[in-house]
Amino acid sequence: MSQQVWKLVIVAEEVLSKKLTKLIREAGATGYTINAAGGEGSRNVRSTGEPSVSHTLSNIKIEVLTGTRELADKITREIEAKYYADYSIITYIYQVEALRDHKF
Amino acid sequence: MTDFIKLFLEQVQSPTLGFLIGGIVVASLGSQLAIPDSIYKFISFFLLMKIGLTGGIAIRNSNPAEIFLPAIAAVLIGIVIVFISRWTLGKLPGISVPDAVATGGLFGAVSGSTLAAVLPQLDAAKVPYEAWTAALYPFMDIPALVTAIVVASVYLSKKTGRSTEKVEIWPIIKESLQSSAVTALLLGVALGILTKPEPVYESFFNPLFRGFLAVLMIIMGMEAAQRMNELRKVAQWFAIYAFFAPILHGFLAFGVGLIIHKLTGFSIGGAVVLAVIAASSSDISGPPTLRAGIPSANPSAYIGASTAIGTPVAIAICIPLFIGIAEMMLGR
Repeated sequence: MSQQVWKLVIVAEEVLSKKLTKLIREAGATGYTINAAGGEGSRNVRSTGEPSVSHTLSNIKIEVLTGTRELADKITREIEAKYYADYSIITYIYQVEALRDHKF
Repeated sequence: MTDFIKLFLEQVQSPTLGFLIGGIVVASLGSQLAIPDSIYKFISFFLLMKIGLTGGIAIRNSNPAEIFLPAIAAVLIGIVIVFISRWTLGKLPGISVPDAVATGGLFGAVSGSTLAAVLPQLDAAKVPYEAWTAALYPFMDIPALVTAIVVASVYLSKKTGRSTEKVEIWPIIKESLQSSAVTALLLGVALGILTKPEPVYESFFNPLFRGFLAVLMIIMGMEAAQRMNELRKVAQWFAIYAFFAPILHGFLAFGVGLIIHKLTGFSIGGAVVLAVIAASSSDISGPPTLRAGIPSANPSAYIGASTAIGTPVAIAICIPLFIGIAEMMLGR
């Protein structure tokens, strides 16, 4: 009872959290998972992995499972148009097997 | 002059500063000491609640008209600080205007920790002040953030030649009012005015205030040391601005406070509070507002400048400086 689905991962600034989840829901995804994330990237505007007083420099990782590649691409395109220029954000995608039979 | 230096040195030895410097030192040495985020949040809530209660109780027992002129002054100072940054820092080579304006907005905005630090130091120095002066916080904080976001948007739409979306001011004000710092303070003020919180105030908020403030100072010191790394990645002008701006803003506001002192009998201690509010730069609530409002500005520049240098300068230099001047003026 499993099915092939697409897993879209978005690592972004925590300040975008609400906007991104809204965008994901409005695009038609059935759900998402959010974790706090830390690390360092190529973009020289942020480097922290530690918890800090101001959450401006914190990161989140959002995972979205979508039934079709088209939906994942749609979400990615919208994020690209709105946020790639000014924010630290990366997105990547891979195919996974969802174990629970669920309508994605 | 020697008297002044003596008064200044006494201030520097206060526990507030000692703990701040202790935090900077341990973090610079790479200590593993960590104070949980939730503790930090609770402490800043507690301190601002206590300051709000003190202010509210004071307002209940005073003439509300007295706050009018200082509040107007706070609004104007918050706005002017952004323009000072726009036309000084923003004119320097290699500094983008949005970065300069965002930095100005953060330095115009107010730090709850700095505000919490100045009040007990004034008490210790026995410089009288109106307790409601703490309620000036949002009057300077919100106009500074709004001005920064508007100035940056106007600049960017002129530069790109296309009219970008009109800046909506109300959401910025709403977000500032909803921020944890301003909410805690205003809730305290409201409870101080509308209820009689003296029993909890005397048994809980007042006795614990100084201890929690000391812990907060360690956290701010550690934050400052960590943010130095961010600041190293941006132009050195930000560091220079961050050092001098709090002192300049403090003097500007202190001068305005003294004019109000002459006009209405606003206390000299109140002018010190106004000066320190102007000298402080926001650490908690300002950065997310600016990050959302001016996305093209580099957060490393303004957060680094504010947290790594601005706040330590406001606490370690401006507070002793203005209390020292006030004591001189009071003829001690």
